[in-house]
Amino acid sequence: MSTKRIHPGVEQMKKSLTDGKCSRREFLRTITLLGVSATAAYSMAGSILGKDVLPDIVSSAMAATQKMGGVLKFGMVVQEMADPATYSWTQKSIVARHIIEYLVETGSDNITRPNLATSWEASDDLKTWTFHLRKGVKWSNGDDFGADDVVFNFTRWLDPKTGSSNLGLFGSMMEETGEKDAKGNPIKRMIKNAVQKVDKHTVKLNLKSPVLSIPENLYNYPTGIVHRDFEKEGGDFSKNPVGTGPYELTQFRVGEIAVLKKRKAPYWGGEVFLDEIRFVDLGEDPGAYLAAIASSQVDGLYELDLTTLEAAKNIPGIKVISIPTTQTGVIRMKVTEKPFTDIRIRKAVQKCCNAQRMLDIAHRGLGIVGEHHHVASIHPEYFALPAFKQDIKGAKKLLAEAGYPNGIELTCNVGNTDGVWEQDAVAVLKEDAAKAGITINMNVMPSAQYWDVWTKAPLSLTSWTHRPLAVMVLGLAYRTGVPWNESSYANPEFDAALDDAESTLDVEKRRAKMEKVEKILQDDAVLVQPFFRSVFTAVRDNVVGLKNHPTRYYRFHKVSLA
Amino acid sequence: MVTLVVKRIGFMIFTMIVVSLILFLLLETELTGDPAARVLGQFSNEEQREIWREQHGYNQPVALRYVKWLGNFAIGNLGESIRFKGPVADVMLPRLWNTAILGFWTFAIMIPLSLILGVLSGMKEGSKLDRTISVFGILTTSIPEFASAVIFSAIFVFGLKWLPGTSSMSGGFEFKQLIMPAMVLIVYDFGYVARMTRASMAEVMTSQYVRTAILKGLPYRSVIVKHALRNALIAPFTVIMLQINWLLSGVIVVEFFFAYKGFGALILEASLNNDIALLEACAMVAVCVAVTTQTLADIGYTFLNPRIRFS
Repeated sequence: MSTKRIHPGVEQMKKSLTDGKCSRREFLRTITLLGVSATAAYSMAGSILGKDVLPDIVSSAMAATQKMGGVLKFGMVVQEMADPATYSWTQKSIVARHIIEYLVETGSDNITRPNLATSWEASDDLKTWTFHLRKGVKWSNGDDFGADDVVFNFTRWLDPKTGSSNLGLFGSMMEETGEKDAKGNPIKRMIKNAVQKVDKHTVKLNLKSPVLSIPENLYNYPTGIVHRDFEKEGGDFSKNPVGTGPYELTQFRVGEIAVLKKRKAPYWGGEVFLDEIRFVDLGEDPGAYLAAIASSQVDGLYELDLTTLEAAKNIPGIKVISIPTTQTGVIRMKVTEKPFTDIRIRKAVQKCCNAQRMLDIAHRGLGIVGEHHHVASIHPEYFALPAFKQDIKGAKKLLAEAGYPNGIELTCNVGNTDGVWEQDAVAVLKEDAAKAGITINMNVMPSAQYWDVWTKAPLSLTSWTHRPLAVMVLGLAYRTGVPWNESSYANPEFDAALDDAESTLDVEKRRAKMEKVEKILQDDAVLVQPFFRSVFTAVRDNVVGLKNHPTRYYRFHKVSLA
Repeated sequence: MVTLVVKRIGFMIFTMIVVSLILFLLLETELTGDPAARVLGQFSNEEQREIWREQHGYNQPVALRYVKWLGNFAIGNLGESIRFKGPVADVMLPRLWNTAILGFWTFAIMIPLSLILGVLSGMKEGSKLDRTISVFGILTTSIPEFASAVIFSAIFVFGLKWLPGTSSMSGGFEFKQLIMPAMVLIVYDFGYVARMTRASMAEVMTSQYVRTAILKGLPYRSVIVKHALRNALIAPFTVIMLQINWLLSGVIVVEFFFAYKGFGALILEASLNNDIALLEACAMVAVCVAVTTQTLADIGYTFLNPRIRFS
């Protein structure tokens, strides 16, 4: 690192940490994003704060005593996983994560570290990012990993025909073609030379606007790097699983099982412990998962839900691991569908919300209350707006103004895609809304069916996963025209404010800019957001080294069995 | 006899054709929404749907499409599953086999058990034994599978820790994993079959030829075995055949609960995910099983009952 140029932002961050303006975690996160290695970052923080700030003391000490070998059985649905760029379920990426790899890796501590990229630098304006790729990494088919692979992946993600949600993450690499599709939305394409091969092991990203979270975006789950011939060789990952990771896919049956075996070739990332990982599909009944771990049929579960949490705590031989996250459910209103085209209706619904009550009832108080702008108090750039209060009278008044003095009837879709708390949250809102004359009918549907309508329905609760930075999720869900903008929200003022915040490195300055972003989104009343929730899961006592991850991006490289 | 068999088989085929027509109208025509949208999902645009319709012959007249579809079905070309990304037959056959294994063991235990208990209680109507068996049978039959599955799990998996909690067979077939689902099915169903056997047995016991046999001094044992049983078991035979039908729907709950990878769980998955081709194939298999068992029951009944056979 000493031979490379150091981003001026690092000095700025050092000053912030010295002055106590940013937390240790924020300091570590930001300077590693700017290309300082994690080890160097920890020692810098240590020298500024005058105490040892060592990463993962426990797990590195444990590594010496961890046992080699063994088969880990993990209870999780096994879905089709043909194209890593279009994954829309984390579970697909968990199987794939052991075969293909990402340029970076964001750990359980929200710090992003090098992976297939060994280091990176950003230009002062955060518009040019240079990634240095790891040398000597081989694909499982014998080819060398290099810049061509990375260029191929970027080009593929940013081709709208691929249908990848990564389009929203790398919007600053796209331009409009000037043509419009049948619906009148502008057709976009990747800017020529937005991704550029410098040499065999160096890639440069040229952005049209500054983006801070490029490294973090590169661990978003549909950004796994596939081989450059992925499409030429059929474009089906489960049939042709070529990867750089330590495991290979030896058995795969959708709805039943996925088996990974340790590859014979030495792995660039050092020794992994487990010989075999078996993902066992036990259907969609949480009770089945609990029964399986209770009777030692599996060693760990993808998740526990609230109904099984208490039961799991009482079963001997099982430990519950939990972590606070920014996972949430948003009851979003589609601004292009009647009656939500009228902001007064949306505001009326929002005013009925008592977030604390929703959290207490629907999620047993495990989480952080939401403020209807999708930014959590654990996001580093969170700006505290004045507290949002329930206002039934105000809601009634708005309804009357909008032409519904006798109340209105709405239907809210719930898919319970992440558990029954979704349904319970809507039920609490339904109760409160009734006081204002708003009748909310709940349409509870199977989770798989929910994903068919999630971007179509006028009113529905969608579960969103954790993202370490607020700007990341706002860009995916509320920027005009991106595929996952389920509310069809389009406000140029919001887009501009978000662009501005996204391009600001300094935490304090960024936080100041978030005021506007949060305020616009809250005032436009696009969503009712009850809470951000903690996540938890269960593993058996014999599992060593498995930590929960805020996004459940489980990776078993450092996991072993006792 | 031969005429009867031919007639029965003819009727069976007719039933299946009628059902296939209904199935086709429901899933493959515009009657209940656009099939292209069903297959490609809500995200698809009109252009993609048109291409799909063209490719899959959906622009042809409905009658022609039905005949082709039926023809394909008849030669075993069941189409592609969207959910599983593969031919329907490859997905369905192993699942059907798994359910057959579960069904086999369920029946292997349930049938002797319910026949013995039914005969025992029907031999002396109103006796203590009869009352005990009847009450027990009614009790287990009135607890639905989803409830008994939870109760048995609580006892044998979480409490006593004797049995594995799920039956996914992910590490290959294991008999131990079959016990819980089979037990739930057996406990639910045996009461019903036992009650039917009891009724049939009780009726036979009051008949004149049994009375005569007893009065002429035959040992009680041979009265039961030689005279009563042969007639008493005709009615339960039909009932048991019909239990195969019940099993196909009963396994949906049980397979879901115990994560058993069988036909029932597959039907549920296909319908939740709008997997049309898979759903059609599953429905046709279920219908086929239903009419086949019914036909066998009819033919078997005729064969077993000399009064019908010789008339």
